[in-house]
Amino acid sequence: MKILLAVTAILLAMLAGAALAPRTAAAAPGTVAVMLTPSQLNIVMGERFTIRARFVNPSAAATEPLIADLNVASLTGVYVDLEDWSVSRTHDLVPIAPGGSAALSWDIQAVNAGSFDVYIVLLPHGPASAGAGPLVASPPVHVTVAGRRALNAGGALPIAVIVPVLLGLAAAGARYRLRRTA
Amino acid sequence: MTASTNLRPAGVQSRIPAAGHGTAGWWVVAEQECRDLWLSGRGPLLLFAFSVLLSVMTYLTASNQVLNFLEQREAVGLTLQIAVAVGALVTLLVSADAISGERERGTLENVLLAPVSRRTIIVGKFVSALSLWLVAFVVSVPYVWVLGRGVSVVGQALLLGLVVGTLLAVALAALGLLISGVSNSNKVSLSVSLFLLFALFAPTQLPTGLPQGWFGDLLLRLNPVGAGLHYITAVLVDGHAWTRDVSYLASPLVTAVLAGGALTFASSRVLRLTAGVSGA
Repeated sequence: MKILLAVTAILLAMLAGAALAPRTAAAAPGTVAVMLTPSQLNIVMGERFTIRARFVNPSAAATEPLIADLNVASLTGVYVDLEDWSVSRTHDLVPIAPGGSAALSWDIQAVNAGSFDVYIVLLPHGPASAGAGPLVASPPVHVTVAGRRALNAGGALPIAVIVPVLLGLAAAGARYRLRRTA
Repeated sequence: MTASTNLRPAGVQSRIPAAGHGTAGWWVVAEQECRDLWLSGRGPLLLFAFSVLLSVMTYLTASNQVLNFLEQREAVGLTLQIAVAVGALVTLLVSADAISGERERGTLENVLLAPVSRRTIIVGKFVSALSLWLVAFVVSVPYVWVLGRGVSVVGQALLLGLVVGTLLAVALAALGLLISGVSNSNKVSLSVSLFLLFALFAPTQLPTGLPQGWFGDLLLRLNPVGAGLHYITAVLVDGHAWTRDVSYLASPLVTAVLAGGALTFASSRVLRLTAGVSGA
C-alpha cells in the first residue's frame, strides 16, 4: 500500500511538474508587431512600387517560424488577381529572437485602377502551431491607383501600316527585277 | 591563301571579282555576298516578314486593353526584345545557309576560285549576314520611337538594342557559319540551326519574375539570347545602371569569341568542297 501511494505521488508530481514547467517558450504570432512603409501611396496604373515590412518581437521568447502573406483588397469592387500584382506573395520568416526584428519587402505592380488596401498577414508555421492561429494582420497601406491609357494606338497605326507596305514594295521590286534579268 | 585557291583552272572565272588596288579582299567578298542577299529578294522578303511581326506587336501593345496596363518603358522593352531576338535569329538562319547552301547549289567551287584566302571569304560572308541584322535594326527604329516618345527612353532603348543586338548577331552569325561549314547538306545545317534557334529562344518565354534558384540563374546566364534579353529588361525596364548587370553579356561575348575563333582557325576545314555534293 505504501508502495502504491509512493508511485501515485511520484506520478502526480511528474504530471504537476510537466504542467507547471515553462514550455520551451515560443512566442505566439500575436505578440509580433508588424509595421509597413510607406503608409499610403498615390500611383498610376502600371507603376511598380515596393512595400517594406518590419516585424518586431517584443516578447521574452523567440517566435515560431512564420509565414508572411501579402494581400490586396479592393475598396471599389474591382476584381483583384493577386498573381498579377506580385509574383511572390508569400515569404517564410525564420524565428525572430526575443526583442529582435526581421524585415521583408514585396515588389508589386498596380495592374488595376481604383482604391486598394495592401496588408500583410502573419501565419504560424511551426510544427505544433501550423494551422492553429492566431493570425496577425498589419495595418493597411492605402494605395490609390489612377487609370490611364499609356499608349496612343492612333499614333502607332500609321507606323504599323506604312513600314511593312514600303518593305513589301521593296521586296516585290527586287523579285520583279530578278525575274526580268533571269 | 590556300593552295586550292591558287590553282584556278584556265578559263574558269570566280563570281567574286578580283580586289582592286586599295580594296580589301573581305570587302569585295562582302559586297558580292550582300548583293546576292539583297538583290535576290531573300533579304527584303525576310525584312518584310520581320516588319509585319513588329507591326502586329506594336499595334497590340498600343491598343490592346489587356496589355494596356504596361508602362511605356515595358512596352518599349517588349518591342525591343522582339526586334533584337528575331533580328539576331534571322541572322543565324541566313548564315546557316551561307556555306552549305553554296555547296549544295554547286556554286562553292566558283567562290573558292576567287584570289583571296578562305578566311577572307568567311569574313565576307560573316559581314553580309550581319548586314541583315543592321538593316533589321534600322527597321525597328520607328516602332521603338512610336512607343517610347514622351518618356525620353527612345535614345537609351535604341543604343541598348544596337549594342546587345549586334553582340547577339555576331555570336549567332559565327555559330551559323560554323554549323553551315561542318554540315554535309544544307538540310542538316538549316535543321540544326532551327533547333538551336528554338532551344535558345524557348527559355526566354518562361515567366521571368518567379524565383528560379541558382540553377535557373545559371541556365539564364548560359543562354546567350536569354541573357542578352534579360540585360535589356534590367537596364530599360528596371532602370538599372548599364554596369550593374553587365555580367549577363558574358555568354553572348564568349559565344562570339569562341565561334569566331573556331571559324578563323579552322577556315580551311569549314570552307571545303564535299565529294558528291553538288547542285549541278
